[in-house]
Amino acid sequence: MNSKNKFIFAVSGVILVFVIWVYWVSTSPSEGAKSMVTFVTIDNLIDDYENERVRLGGRIQDGSIQISKSNLLDVHFMLDQGDESVKVHYSKTRPDLFKNGVEVIVEGVYTGGIFKADMLQTKCASRYEGDLRDESEYSMEEVEI
Amino acid sequence: MIPVAGAVSLNLSLAFAILTLFAIGFYIRYNDFRLFLTGQRLSLASSGLSVISTIILTNELILGNFDLDYVAHYTSNETPLLYKITALWAGQSGSMLFWLAILSIYAIIVVLQNRKEHHLLMPWVIIVITIVQLFFLGMTNFVTNPFEPTNADFIVMNGNGLNPLLQNPTMAIHPPMLYLGYVGFTIPFAFAIAALIKKDASSLWIKTIRRWTLVTWLFLGIGIILGGWWAYLELGWGGYWAWDPVENASFMPWLTGTAFVHSIIIQEKKNMLKIWNMILIILTFTLCIFGTFLTRSGVMSSVHSFTASGLGPLFFGFVILILIVSYSLLYVRRKHFQTEKQLESFTSRESGFLFNNVVFVVMCFAVFWGTIFPVISEAVRGTKITVGAPFFNQINIPIGLILLFLTGVGPLLAWRNTSKESLIKNFTFPLIVAFIIVGLLLALDITGNAMMTLSLSGFVFTTIVIEFWRGIRARTRKFDESIISAFIKLIQKNRSRYGGYISHLGIVLMFVGFSGHAFDIEDEWGLQIGAKETVGNYEIELDALSEEERPNHYAYIANLNIYTSGGEFVTDLHPEKRIYFHRDPNPDKRQPHSELDIYSTIVRDIYSIFTGVDPKNQVGYFKIMINPLVQWVWIGSYFLIIGTVIAMWPVKRGKNELE
Repeated sequence: MNSKNKFIFAVSGVILVFVIWVYWVSTSPSEGAKSMVTFVTIDNLIDDYENERVRLGGRIQDGSIQISKSNLLDVHFMLDQGDESVKVHYSKTRPDLFKNGVEVIVEGVYTGGIFKADMLQTKCASRYEGDLRDESEYSMEEVEI
Repeated sequence: MIPVAGAVSLNLSLAFAILTLFAIGFYIRYNDFRLFLTGQRLSLASSGLSVISTIILTNELILGNFDLDYVAHYTSNETPLLYKITALWAGQSGSMLFWLAILSIYAIIVVLQNRKEHHLLMPWVIIVITIVQLFFLGMTNFVTNPFEPTNADFIVMNGNGLNPLLQNPTMAIHPPMLYLGYVGFTIPFAFAIAALIKKDASSLWIKTIRRWTLVTWLFLGIGIILGGWWAYLELGWGGYWAWDPVENASFMPWLTGTAFVHSIIIQEKKNMLKIWNMILIILTFTLCIFGTFLTRSGVMSSVHSFTASGLGPLFFGFVILILIVSYSLLYVRRKHFQTEKQLESFTSRESGFLFNNVVFVVMCFAVFWGTIFPVISEAVRGTKITVGAPFFNQINIPIGLILLFLTGVGPLLAWRNTSKESLIKNFTFPLIVAFIIVGLLLALDITGNAMMTLSLSGFVFTTIVIEFWRGIRARTRKFDESIISAFIKLIQKNRSRYGGYISHLGIVLMFVGFSGHAFDIEDEWGLQIGAKETVGNYEIELDALSEEERPNHYAYIANLNIYTSGGEFVTDLHPEKRIYFHRDPNPDKRQPHSELDIYSTIVRDIYSIFTGVDPKNQVGYFKIMINPLVQWVWIGSYFLIIGTVIAMWPVKRGKNELE
């Protein structure tokens, strides 16, 4: 084998090993359950995904946040997706932006009519970049012209 | 009036950019040198006008002219001056203009610097840069214009203000650094395309862009590190890297850029890997545009907003266009860039570089795969999937370890071929060190990735120390210098080599920091005053809770005492729970913010977050994390930066000939 072919062979080998590795990590079910989670709608959740780890996105229903009196970390709220809604329970540190009407993503398991979340993110895709606040309205003093 | 001037100069800049293309195009066609001079001046004018328009927008932000929609969105009367300026890149249209401004400044520098050099390449370099400018000029003029007036039927008295999370000095530097990096790759890309068009396979232009590339690459790296640092200090989840799409967007061009920074050395020294370098720089530039697109268009926050935002399809089109045009060009020209020279042996420096390159690209692809997997999955299977940090960690840790290994091995290999004796001589001691570390760690019951990382770090660290030691010893013997002056001279005489080693040392230290992640511990609870809880080997006591009203927020301040499990006092921490806009009658408009407090040592950080407060019952809720070795990530990045600066520091003219 000449030198050039030897190297093409070696580099291809590296790439092949890598492709197998990516495929294995992408499909391996053990770790996959944790690292790749399906986004579902509330509709599907209740019908198809009970007791399965999934993600839900939606808006916190206005006035639905109930913080437990005995443990401030413990919270129940209603998550709205259009007309559908589901009760969510979460008992870890909440992000600062967590409040009524905010869009959140929760990850957890739906059992017995309650979605028990252990991960909650307030939705802000580019959280570094300043479009965190609601851009649809100005919060300013109005002055009649 | 003045905002109008901003909009007009943006229009004019666009017009001049088009004229630049015509002038240079005619020069290439008719070869009349005056046309080239005109083209250069037009390009300078176009760039200058873009910069002026950016200055005008910045001025409006400082003045608080809320007649402009952009100003009203991102500043308010209360916003401090610094953050009025940083609002320039806080929103979409402003950041597009900012991108354009940086590119324009770069363009001015390149045009002026090369007035007397690269006569064959420069016309095409200017054309490529101008086309990229045109894209952003089109964006800022027609799609997302920052000079858009406020759309309200009343006079706007005060603006929205900048998010408190972003009111942090790090946040003032992080985005510009990233942008300087993203944008800077346009220049080497432009030279590469020009070289392809002119069939210039010499290494001359590589020398010109080497420093550009290093500076740009350094900016990108600093930007990424600052982002992580800010996340660690401000966001309060205890980590510095979450593998979210926006972070990945900046990491991908850094990876291919790192490969490029290494492989142009081969082209400079050995005139090899020319096609490969072209592939890398095109890829890196494309990833920079793609990164801006991911960060700015909101594609990733919701896959559905793809068509909703006007920017998405345009950016995507531009990315595809760059890829098709550049790679077609490369394919057509491939014969001119092939080299007869071949790699001779696996144990040669050349092949070390080659494998380092392949692994960097492979890692970039892994990150890319994880980042776009949700999009592909939705398109193909119709289910939306999220890819979390565990996936990226699992996939990248082995690749990262291979890279770490190559960091140690590569520089010690000789060009062309390394003899067996030299292999034994160079690697015996580092391997012994690595095995001793493995033994020690096993005795401490530390296994897995952390063991691998730490022992490989020891291996690479030893190779670097030996290299320095050999160089110093040679000098002390030859020139009768003291060890310290030999050390300084050694670096001075061969900046790129020893600067490179110092950067590698930085990478090793960063890996040590990463390995600490395996031992993170965290816990959260509510504490009454005087109560204690345990986390790891520490006891946390809530000593006192106090309240304070400050100019723009209301603060609850905790006083936590930290003891070792033996009862020894370690430190006190004062995390705060702040409420911004606390006077707003609508509770939903008030914005809570957790101000962290961290006790840092080189062994571990104790990281405290005040998560909630119940003032009536005097209960504070806290999350405490023990994060080992995090400091080494920051210490390593200092070395990385210092090493890079040494490597790219200009050598005085004439000095080379003397040696």
